[in-house]
Amino acid sequence: MIKLNGVTKRYLMGDTVVMALDGVDIQIKEGEFVAIVGPSGSGKSTLMNIIGCLDVITDGYYELNEIPIKDYDQDELADIRNKQIGFVFQQFNLLTNLSALENVMMPMTYAKMSKKNREEKANQLLSLVGLSDRTHHKPTELSGGQQQRVSIARALANDPAIILADEPTGALDTKTGQEVLNTLKELNKKGKTVLIITHDVEVARNTNRIITLRDGKVTTDVSEVHHD
Amino acid sequence: MIKEYFILAVKSVWAHKIRALLTTLGVIIGVSSVILLMSLGNSARTEAANQIRGIGSNLIFVSVSDRQGNLPTDWISLIKQQADIDEYSPLISSSATYQIEGQTIDISISGVNEHFAYINALDMTVGRFLNEYDVEYNTPVVVLGSKIPDLLLPNQTVIGSKIIIKGIPFEVIGVAEERGTNFSGDNDMMVYIPIDYASTMSGFSSFNKTFYIAANSEENIDFTLNRVLTYLSTVFPSDANYRAFSQTQILGVLETILGLLTSLLAGIASISLVVGGIGIMNIMLVTVRERTKEIGIRKALGARQSQILAQFLIEAILITTLGGLIGLGVSYVGTIIISIITDFNVILGLDAVVLSLVFSITIGVIFGLYPAYNASKLEPVEALRFE
Repeated sequence: MIKLNGVTKRYLMGDTVVMALDGVDIQIKEGEFVAIVGPSGSGKSTLMNIIGCLDVITDGYYELNEIPIKDYDQDELADIRNKQIGFVFQQFNLLTNLSALENVMMPMTYAKMSKKNREEKANQLLSLVGLSDRTHHKPTELSGGQQQRVSIARALANDPAIILADEPTGALDTKTGQEVLNTLKELNKKGKTVLIITHDVEVARNTNRIITLRDGKVTTDVSEVHHD
Repeated sequence: MIKEYFILAVKSVWAHKIRALLTTLGVIIGVSSVILLMSLGNSARTEAANQIRGIGSNLIFVSVSDRQGNLPTDWISLIKQQADIDEYSPLISSSATYQIEGQTIDISISGVNEHFAYINALDMTVGRFLNEYDVEYNTPVVVLGSKIPDLLLPNQTVIGSKIIIKGIPFEVIGVAEERGTNFSGDNDMMVYIPIDYASTMSGFSSFNKTFYIAANSEENIDFTLNRVLTYLSTVFPSDANYRAFSQTQILGVLETILGLLTSLLAGIASISLVVGGIGIMNIMLVTVRERTKEIGIRKALGARQSQILAQFLIEAILITTLGGLIGLGVSYVGTIIISIITDFNVILGLDAVVLSLVFSITIGVIFGLYPAYNASKLEPVEALRFE
């Protein structure tokens, strides 16, 4: 469902051209649980932005669900982000003036779902991540782990097939980080395609396939058949 | 969707109450000054129009300077043969000064005929106006303006008393109702005496004459005025010797002048609206910048450009509309205060309410559009990176 062929991303930083991605070929099938690892500057964040349709490629070919992304305009890309991809960010990226429930409802608002349905779905999702008693709390009133669980609930709002998690444990201690990873694992078991971008090999070990990036190129792509 | 943006905007404005209030100050001042000046101007127009209509109906004013005696005494009878004239009255005027208990009182004296009261819609509070016998037989009788009895005949029975005008005793036969001041001066400080009697007295010009002519219908005013002008042009060598104009013309000129004045003042006041709008734009640009991260998050989660645009535009419109409503309240209080301290009756019309809302919403749209557009065009990746 995700297909990248010779994907290149260049951008200007001051006067110098930075080659963030340099001919990346990756194919990810539905239901896979993949980690993209690499040191900082390896281009893994750029890769996530491109897969997540937050950024566009300079050269090459990117296809999501059999449709080349180049064919889409800004509004269609927004709709793809809204309905087909669920984002989980390192810094949670919750809106601080909204409650947990309102944060989870937000992507559904953009999907033009009715208020009643939004509330119902958001409550369901918050119960799913174990926060049914925190629905009206503001992000600042929640712990880091709780905030990340809110953002996972938000990522699931419009039932996307793909979950993109950018350093989802980066701002959490090991224990809560593992809890978040377990939640992602659960989601993968339920059929979601889950991509984790991380620099932490320990985190990557939770997945079934590890793609390593270095200097904008894929260096290794290992599928672990045997997994805990 | 609009409802959601509205709720969002309310929350966002509420989160920065003081800032929002300060931002709207420009709009508040702008809207209230425009509305107040327009209401004032409209009231002035109504007041002026009422005054002019109060003079009488279908009136034509003719004033001549007839040093050579070109104008025959019965010239109006000639006009009457051509146009439908209801009644007319000549008028010659002078003035007199009285010293009573150290107080100086100036009165105007008008020599008129018996039709003057009818033509000018002048009603009596007591007694009667001059009649045809007073005029015909040059009876020394006088009708007083409403303020004069208290000044010249305090604590006396007015009707039947005598007042001395230019050395001649006149018997008071009536007192006119209160008229106020208009372009012919303070009507309440005026006395009316028979025209021919006046023309024999000192101080009345023998060649400067005024005529009040009432056409018999509104449709006939222009026609009659034309006849008068045509006739006068045949009588006098130059058009510098006469002037003739109708009540409708005065009304028209006055309305034009006051209308212009109102628009001019409102125009000047609307500069403050523009300044207020720039303030809105400024603060919205700051808001958009402060909330870059939020915009990034919203875009990452699927907000379209149009949805971000709508969110910030509605926030700007909400702020300016609040300003407009507060401004409306301020101008409402303003009209009450003006009505109390002056005897001017200023009314805040429905048009003012509609206008203030239209103004404030327009300002919100115009000055909110650019910041909202900026917000909508932010790149999601860069916006997300913003701290």
